[in-house]
Amino acid sequence: MNKATQIGKNTIDMRNIIKKVIIGLLAGIISGLFSTGGGMIVVPAFIYLLNMEDKKARGTSIFCILPMVVTSGIFYYKSNYIDWNISILCAIGGMIGGYTGAKLLKKIPTHYLKVAFTIFLIYASYKMIFK
Amino acid sequence: MLEIFIGILSGIISGTGMGGGTILIFLLMYVVGVDQHIAQATNLVFFIPTSIIAIIINLKNKNIALKSAVLVSVFGILGAIIGANISIKIDVNILRKCFGIFLAIIAIHEIYTIIKLYKINKIRNNNKEKV
Repeated sequence: MNKATQIGKNTIDMRNIIKKVIIGLLAGIISGLFSTGGGMIVVPAFIYLLNMEDKKARGTSIFCILPMVVTSGIFYYKSNYIDWNISILCAIGGMIGGYTGAKLLKKIPTHYLKVAFTIFLIYASYKMIFK
Repeated sequence: MLEIFIGILSGIISGTGMGGGTILIFLLMYVVGVDQHIAQATNLVFFIPTSIIAIIINLKNKNIALKSAVLVSVFGILGAIIGANISIKIDVNILRKCFGIFLAIIAIHEIYTIIKLYKINKIRNNNKEKV
């Protein structure tokens, strides 16, 4: 490898490191602030900025978000914001939903779900900002 | 019982990778009537068991880019410390409005991806007709 391509490779490496640092910091701040939404930043960022394929971006995003969630959880716990009764009931429901959903969703086209989710987002954001 | 149902619904949506967390928090706030901080803390507990299972499956299927994941996670933890501390100290009315704005941004991004999907499908259908 000659010197010019070596320098070129180093700047690309450096750029990717900076991108990852920014993705991590931003997703962490959002995750801590709202306890959700980290994935909605990490997945598109991996796909568009790091050229990761869709499946790998989703898999990697869950791995990255878990430590952010655990960290945020410690601070919420210290401030007495965890209602164990509600949390455990929701978590049980979540596991049932996650399991059945994986089988059910193969039958529903994703673009219908996407449209329904977008309508929900618009309604929820309106309600939270103006009411 | 209502909490389990909300958990199931959010679990199903989470399976699509569209952010079941936003729905969980919204329903807990506006249907069950819990404080936003408690709803957000519930989402943190909700996320942990399902995500651990997802990570194990993704590790087995080699769907995780480990090298990138570690760097993003480290800075993600740093970001989460910042975000969680802001969230705990901020006035709940301001937090709710910030959350609403965040949801609106995601909605815009979703609309953009729906339009993109629609265009791709249209091109595909046109090509089919030509053949």
